[in-house]
Amino acid sequence: MGLGAVLVIGAKSQEVARDGGHSSELPRTDSEDFLDVPLECVEVVGRSLLERMIERLIAIDVEHISVLVEAKSSAVAPSFRHSPEKVKVRVVADMAVAIEEQLAGYTQSGIGHSFITAANTYTETDLLDLFCFHREARQPVTRTFDRDGCLDLWVVDCAKAQPSELVILKKNVDQTGAPRYFIREYVNRLLHPRDVRRLAADILRRNCETGASGKQVRPGVWIDDGGEVHRRARIVAPAYVGCASKVKADALITRFSDIERNCCVDSGTVIEDSSILANTTIGICLDLCHSIASGNKLWNLQRDVAVEIVDPKVMRFTTAARKLAVHRSERIQATEEAAKPEMPQRWQIENNTIQE
Amino acid sequence: MYTRAPVIVMELPEQLNHVEAKRFLDELQPLLEVDRPSVVLDCSQIKHMDSAGVEMLLYCLEQAMKRDGDLKLAAISPASAVILELMRVDRLFEVFERSEEAVRSFQIFAPATVAQTQPWYAAPYGLTDLKAAG
Repeated sequence: MGLGAVLVIGAKSQEVARDGGHSSELPRTDSEDFLDVPLECVEVVGRSLLERMIERLIAIDVEHISVLVEAKSSAVAPSFRHSPEKVKVRVVADMAVAIEEQLAGYTQSGIGHSFITAANTYTETDLLDLFCFHREARQPVTRTFDRDGCLDLWVVDCAKAQPSELVILKKNVDQTGAPRYFIREYVNRLLHPRDVRRLAADILRRNCETGASGKQVRPGVWIDDGGEVHRRARIVAPAYVGCASKVKADALITRFSDIERNCCVDSGTVIEDSSILANTTIGICLDLCHSIASGNKLWNLQRDVAVEIVDPKVMRFTTAARKLAVHRSERIQATEEAAKPEMPQRWQIENNTIQE
Repeated sequence: MYTRAPVIVMELPEQLNHVEAKRFLDELQPLLEVDRPSVVLDCSQIKHMDSAGVEMLLYCLEQAMKRDGDLKLAAISPASAVILELMRVDRLFEVFERSEEAVRSFQIFAPATVAQTQPWYAAPYGLTDLKAAG
């Protein structure tokens, strides 16, 4: 009997999690408005949290990995830097039904147990040990928790969980007396943009096992494929410059800052304790401190305020990303229109004899 | 005898963009052309500010300083503060939580009320003394 995994992306995953235990408060709407994509799909130091979780699952020989994306949460399916063969991505309307179907499918294909996790829950626990714990407990569901409370990571027995239609995930697991697995290792719940910043700093400081992408050009400085740093720019370790990103003359990147893919930091600008998310251009002679920047949006973590910069000279999406954003907004519009309930046609009302 | 022009408090508009900044500057300009202008700009209404708005603030500060006056900001929202920090101009302004505090600060620190002191480089901590101590 093999192992499977279901990774859940989107708001409904949080509902499942909240029902399944006592998850913490989830101010996701603000952050999703800010970033347009779920936090778990945001690249941090080269790879998204989703990719990092998939890497961990592949490392323990999980046979099938299903990524279920809540249709409302994002109009764009998550992209992977190296698309693994084992991973299948599905956009679903009803997450609970989709999980149920997935587990039924696993049972049919001879997979006995499966991890179910909200993709924004990143843990560095020994997943094999968790699986062994679950098998020894001989219960349909095992839930994990850490010192801050329950985590949205379960191990389920695909066959046993099926007859109860996965109600077990909707009820409070603690009350049902299901076994609980305590995680002592690194955990990041990624509920707020602040957690993105914490993850970046932890990766760069090596507080967690997962590492930065790209090549370490000098101790603590990673530069990814095609990243360019002007000889007059200064990068203070630890720091990361992503794929095809440019750091121009006299710029300063310092205090665990990460510049993600396709970014540009213009001359004389200081990036301090900040994350510049993919496809962002930062103008000349600016001071960006304790912030997360994405396109023309800036979330200052010190003041906990999100600002939209209207001046493209200050901050903007790079050209390629702008085209993508237009395409994305068209797709969102199309999704919204498709989701609208069909209104009865005029001829139907007119031909309705009861109304007449 | 030292005299100072009365403190002027003005409220900045909701949108501090190129058009609104120019309109606001037209109103403020004559008030800056006095001896030692004391101006407080109330930022409580600002919802959007761009680089033209920041430029206007800098221009006003420059004009006030030319005439030995000062320009202070009050009731600045966190979003506006972030923009000023981003553009590296936050350090140039004295910022107060409320306009009244900003007005009071002009009265408290009026040069006439401050005791005359010797410049920092004068004796007894001058270079000659340091040489003698060495």
